[in-house]
Amino acid sequence: MPEAGFPLLSLIIMILPVGAGLIWLAPNPALARWIALLTALLDLALTLLAMLRFDPASGGFQFVEQHAWVPSLNIEYLVGVDGMSVLFLPLTVLLFIAVILASWTSVRSLPRLYYTLLLILESASLGIFCALDTILFFLFWELTLVPIFFLISLWGIGPHRRYAAVKYTLMMLTGGVPLLFGFLLLAFNHAGTATGGITHALLFSYPELLASPLPAELQTAVFFLLLLGFAVKAPVFPLHTWLPTLAMEGPASIAAIMTGLKLGVYGLIRFTVPLAPAAAQEFHWLLAGLGVIGILYGALLALSQTNLRPMLAFSSLSHVGLVLLGISAFTLQGIQGALFQLLNFTVVAGGIFLLSGFLHHRVGSTDVVSLGGVAQRMPLLTAGFFLFGLAAMGVPGSSGFPAEFLLILSALDSHTGAGLAALAGVVLGTAYFLGAFRRAFLGPMHNTAVIEAVDLRRRELAVMLVLGALILAGGLFPNAVLELTRVSSEGWIERLAPR
Amino acid sequence: MDISELHWTVQAGYPVLATLQLLPLAAVVALLLLRGRRLLYPAAIGLALLEILLACDLYRLFDAASTSLQLAERLPLLPFLAYHAAADGMSVLFVLLTAVISLLVVLYAKVKGLSGSAAFLAMVFAIQATLQGMFVTQDLLWFTLLSAVELVLIAYLLQRWARAPQDESAMQRYLQFMGIGLLLLLAGTFMLGWNHANVTDGQWSFELNELSLSTVPPELQGVIFFLLFYGLGIRIPLFPLHGWLPLVAEHGTIAVAGVFLLGLKTGVYALVRFVFPLLPEAVLRWQEWVVAFALAGIFYAATLALMQVNLRRLLAFAVISHTSVLVIGLFSLSQTALQGSILLSTTFGTATAGLLFMSGVVFRRTRTLVLSRLGGLFGHLPVVGTAFLIAGLSIIGMPGTPGFDAAHLMLEAAIREFGAMITIAAALGNVAAAAFLLWAFQRAFLAPLPEGEAGRVIEPPALLERGIAVLIILILLGTGFYTHPWLNLLENAFNGLPELYAAAPHHSGMPVAMP
Repeated sequence: MPEAGFPLLSLIIMILPVGAGLIWLAPNPALARWIALLTALLDLALTLLAMLRFDPASGGFQFVEQHAWVPSLNIEYLVGVDGMSVLFLPLTVLLFIAVILASWTSVRSLPRLYYTLLLILESASLGIFCALDTILFFLFWELTLVPIFFLISLWGIGPHRRYAAVKYTLMMLTGGVPLLFGFLLLAFNHAGTATGGITHALLFSYPELLASPLPAELQTAVFFLLLLGFAVKAPVFPLHTWLPTLAMEGPASIAAIMTGLKLGVYGLIRFTVPLAPAAAQEFHWLLAGLGVIGILYGALLALSQTNLRPMLAFSSLSHVGLVLLGISAFTLQGIQGALFQLLNFTVVAGGIFLLSGFLHHRVGSTDVVSLGGVAQRMPLLTAGFFLFGLAAMGVPGSSGFPAEFLLILSALDSHTGAGLAALAGVVLGTAYFLGAFRRAFLGPMHNTAVIEAVDLRRRELAVMLVLGALILAGGLFPNAVLELTRVSSEGWIERLAPR
Repeated sequence: MDISELHWTVQAGYPVLATLQLLPLAAVVALLLLRGRRLLYPAAIGLALLEILLACDLYRLFDAASTSLQLAERLPLLPFLAYHAAADGMSVLFVLLTAVISLLVVLYAKVKGLSGSAAFLAMVFAIQATLQGMFVTQDLLWFTLLSAVELVLIAYLLQRWARAPQDESAMQRYLQFMGIGLLLLLAGTFMLGWNHANVTDGQWSFELNELSLSTVPPELQGVIFFLLFYGLGIRIPLFPLHGWLPLVAEHGTIAVAGVFLLGLKTGVYALVRFVFPLLPEAVLRWQEWVVAFALAGIFYAATLALMQVNLRRLLAFAVISHTSVLVIGLFSLSQTALQGSILLSTTFGTATAGLLFMSGVVFRRTRTLVLSRLGGLFGHLPVVGTAFLIAGLSIIGMPGTPGFDAAHLMLEAAIREFGAMITIAAALGNVAAAAFLLWAFQRAFLAPLPEGEAGRVIEPPALLERGIAVLIILILLGTGFYTHPWLNLLENAFNGLPELYAAAPHHSGMPVAMP
């Protein structure tokens, strides 16, 4: 693990709270969005720098920073990225920039607080991707809850937004319990059977935990605790119930962030499988089964929705299922496809939820009953929605294609039946998306709100063009992404191989 | 158990602990003399700040690396009673908290419109003096007597400054419960002294180091344990001995009495200071029962908290629920456990104080804390709302607040002592606390203003109210992101307690590799 001389990752995480502080010093609340935007743009530059300076040939962690934080508990401030996480940084920042721009005129009440919370959420999300100490990771993990709670409660668009906020927070806190216990269990294992002064022997550093093998019976416990903890966030069926509520009641920006950043699945890839490799392989059928159930259940429920936002939420559940299935194959294609798909989501799911937010802002509803004929008045919005939809379906030429191709390929190879079910899920995906698209965007106009609506403004269009360009770039040049993740993914597979 | 002591002359140029107790007493006299003068309130603030400076000086002088009791002072008064003060890390922590909380109460007096009342301000300092005395004394009888004084002082506070239709019944309930608690405590204290006299041929003493030298026969340990434990349990308050709290919370003063009673956990302190070292066999014998009751208490109180319509009662049940979590930590009886639980009890204390202060600020505007009549306050009182939320999050143990590291230590210890199931239940208790605290926060601050209250004008927070809120936020977040000095302070506290219990056979010890 080479130590970095320049604390690049800390800077990436820390300039955001500084920007949030500046917002409160600015004399005019209207400046808040500008400060937020500029901070996020600066952060984007830093994350791009990290990506450029990243050495894809090395499988280890890079830009590592290590400082003692709570010495009496042996908790460290330890951050670093490898090929699996480095790409998430610029995409996360990009998603937040898109969210800031999308909220530009729609957020009128308490703008300072809104942008402060967004920046803090962004900082915590980036921290999740960088943290290499399990307790530091947990800190960032739980820190995301506070801004999300406020953002849903105060700026949600549904009448039950406060219920949605409490539901989300409580489900996440409950999920946090097994997660923390999993990490404690790992630390205890390292401390061994030594008594007295145990706290000094506890270990939370992820790279060192990887190096200390776990006895078999403990692996099962760790695997299930961590699986449970991350499954709530992913979400994995049947722990997904917060997602549709959140999509309906929360603000579009939060729905975009929550479906765009698949933190739960990232946690599964980063922690659950590598820390309990034998148990993960033993229970591969569980992962695959949960994946298949998620694919089909999500797709069927998406098919039965009449509102675009819950439809997108269930489609997200379906896509998470496919990623889970890809992970359960434990092959290079599987993991690379999974990572590709997660990166893809940041752009696709984030973008499509923002578009549905734009639509809601104009029409006051995203129910297909009150839509219809949107394409006539808002061709650009419709085109954007269609493009993102194609990427979500995995049409060749979009970034969804290489991802889904790799995932289904590996699934067919390792769990043939499940792979066939996944194929069926893709077909269903086409059905629900095109069905909803036809009813909402095509056909005659009958709602006056639709007739009077204006198309995407320049600012909104710019966001969509950037995200759309990324989708095309990912679809046409998938190798750039795959090369970055390859070495780390091979390392990930190797941990599983000897068993 | 041998307890070594360093006399105050070794470390300091003046008797810090005595000064810490005498300054507030002097303040009482000074404030009463300044009755009606303009200088009264500034003097009170100045004196409270001076006490904080003294407490900081104690922190500076105190050597956390040493295992002995430090800055000891001893003055024999009666054949069986001596003034004997000394500090370990635990005392230092509580002394600091007492000083800070007293300052907050003095500031809050202005919010409450009592900044001109010499009697009220003097009462605050009188309570501060007794609390500081309780946190540094090494004499059990002294502690018991001081807690009697404290309870009388708080009763006076409740009687004079609580204005509610039913404060008679609240007052009665308070006196009944506390009176019984004190009697039990006193009885336990005397039995310990009597046993000491028995062993040493008529030498009566209640000093901790003396008492710890004379072993208590097992059949007596159980009785004394229950006398002391129930006596303190009423004060803590421990389920099912908590009956006074909801009433006092509903009808007493919102912040002042509550902050002293609930913010500074003297009961928890006394358990660790006196009961654990003196009665190890009884503690181990009844450990499982205590934990079983605490587990029931977590969920009983959490359920009741969820059903409350009044924020004041809700906070009372919140306290009962989280003290139960605390008790599980305490009875895990290892170094980690004690470190975590003591830190957690100061965290809970600060956070509870924050919740009560902020409720008080809200009450001054709305004249009610019935949840269905609150709402829409966040836009008017953003700082107050934020302080309320951060205090609530500290109780839940959210990372970034001091509750996290403390709860983390406590859970680690509890896994070892009781296994995973009980510990997971305790952690879920925290989730339950999140449920009612977040719910209360939403009802009070985020929900729209209820119909019929639409005409209500909410004044923006005054500078002082904002100051209190910001202070609470800074204390909680500051200690939350940097717990190291406080953990360090407790590293060598507890005078060999962990070793005492590590040597004894445990009933339900769990091997390290679990489940």
